[in-house]
Amino acid sequence: MTVLVQILLSALFMGSLYAMMAVGLALVWTTIGVFNFCHGVFMTLGAYVAWQFVSPDAFGLPMAVSLPLSMLVVAAFGFLLQAAVVRPFIGRGDVVLVAVITTLAASSALENGTQLVWGPRPLGLPALIEGNVDFHGIGISLHQVAIIVITPIILGAVWLFLNRMRLGLALRAVAQNEDACHLVGINVTALYALAFGLAAALAALAGVFFGGFKFMSPQMGTEPLSKALVVVIFGGVANISGPIMAAYIIALFEAISTYVIGFYWTPALLFAVLIAVLMVKPEGLFSGRTRGLA
Amino acid sequence: MADLLEIENLESGYGRIRILHGVSIATTGNRNVGLFGPNGHGKTTLLRTISGLIRAWSGTIRFDGTDITRMAPRHIVELGLIHVPQGNRLFPDLTIRETLRLGAWPSRARADEAANADRVVAIFPKLRERWNQQVRTLSGGERQMVSIGVALMSHPRLLVLDEPTLGLAPRLKDELCAAIKRISDEGVPLVVVEQDVEFLLDLADHLYLVNHGEIATEIRPGEMMNHQAIMEMYFGKQVGPLT
Repeated sequence: MTVLVQILLSALFMGSLYAMMAVGLALVWTTIGVFNFCHGVFMTLGAYVAWQFVSPDAFGLPMAVSLPLSMLVVAAFGFLLQAAVVRPFIGRGDVVLVAVITTLAASSALENGTQLVWGPRPLGLPALIEGNVDFHGIGISLHQVAIIVITPIILGAVWLFLNRMRLGLALRAVAQNEDACHLVGINVTALYALAFGLAAALAALAGVFFGGFKFMSPQMGTEPLSKALVVVIFGGVANISGPIMAAYIIALFEAISTYVIGFYWTPALLFAVLIAVLMVKPEGLFSGRTRGLA
Repeated sequence: MADLLEIENLESGYGRIRILHGVSIATTGNRNVGLFGPNGHGKTTLLRTISGLIRAWSGTIRFDGTDITRMAPRHIVELGLIHVPQGNRLFPDLTIRETLRLGAWPSRARADEAANADRVVAIFPKLRERWNQQVRTLSGGERQMVSIGVALMSHPRLLVLDEPTLGLAPRLKDELCAAIKRISDEGVPLVVVEQDVEFLLDLADHLYLVNHGEIATEIRPGEMMNHQAIMEMYFGKQVGPLT
């Protein structure tokens, strides 16, 4: 029983982080049609910028102020990065490949930049809520509980935005037919910027969640990025509920596998499952065959 | 009255390949204009250059006195020149309701969104039945209706239609022709590319034959024309009876 609850809690917690990362990745992939390797660094930056605002060694602001500020700063960063290394290549036939190279290069530069500015020494963020609760004999921090509760609310808001608001509809539309978007008067370039900014803000939030739970390092975004990649491929991107569901399933799988066969072999097993999915249903488990969102 | 659309010496194309070699057309006042001619001779390219999807190489396009030659498509839409492209597949994953809502994107069209939606439903009652269905599930004719509906939601001052009846079954085609006629009668001027000459003659008395990226012939309002004459423009004069 205890083991079961432990596995479930771990799945919910890690699933929340993966979902937060994967939705941003899917958003950029569906609107712009490129894979953004900077997404992991956005998460790192989110954590470090928040640390800069909140830490008593730096600005010492309250968390309630620092968190939205960090999301804003990183969103602005995402916007600038998009303008610098993605937008110039849009319209070229090889934009997918070029964007892989430019975003990889930018992520490497930003990772090292983070190390230059804040140093390699691990830092930590305060928890969103201090304290622990006892749940069926298992201690869990309130920080983790908060993340498990907040994530579905945020993702629900993103879903509503994409499905109910005209601007969100436009974001989905640009993924499906760019010419037709031009012809109803949509500023497609601005939507690209919006998609990147929104994705970066979500990654920053995941970074703050992460930083209150584990020590931060300039490389902290690498592993969540690879997990988000697995999630997006596994779930498909036809609908944002695809990567969200996939995130929780992957996290559950990971938790079970870690318990049964151990931490060491779990990533290998995960990628084996991924390859199997790619062979059986390459468009993702919850996806049709087109590129589209929500 | 100033002519709504005036195009002078327009040249454009794709990459290095020139498609339009100095096209000049103009509407007379607010009257409809029809374009016809063989496939692959620049009609669609002309319309895509007008709406800004393709950059003009040289020449000018004026809409209601404003030079729109190098404007971005969204600014042209904002002025009220709305282009319905050929075989528009629209947004496959959006529903009809969502797609029409996007049509009201220009700020000029926001205030009249509800009235325009009523108008679309009045002209295409069929769409109301499929209101929450994804566009991908629609037939070609229904998709064409949504496509024109989206244009009406943008509150057009000039509607540019590229082969609106292409590939439709005869019954659907009649329905669509009647709808387009109605839109025109309700006061929206049209620029129409169409292969169905009867339909074109019914809509417009000012026609241009586009051939090899140039205007081969202009038929001005009031000039005699009949089906026979237009067929001869397409295929050349038939000299003697075929034996």
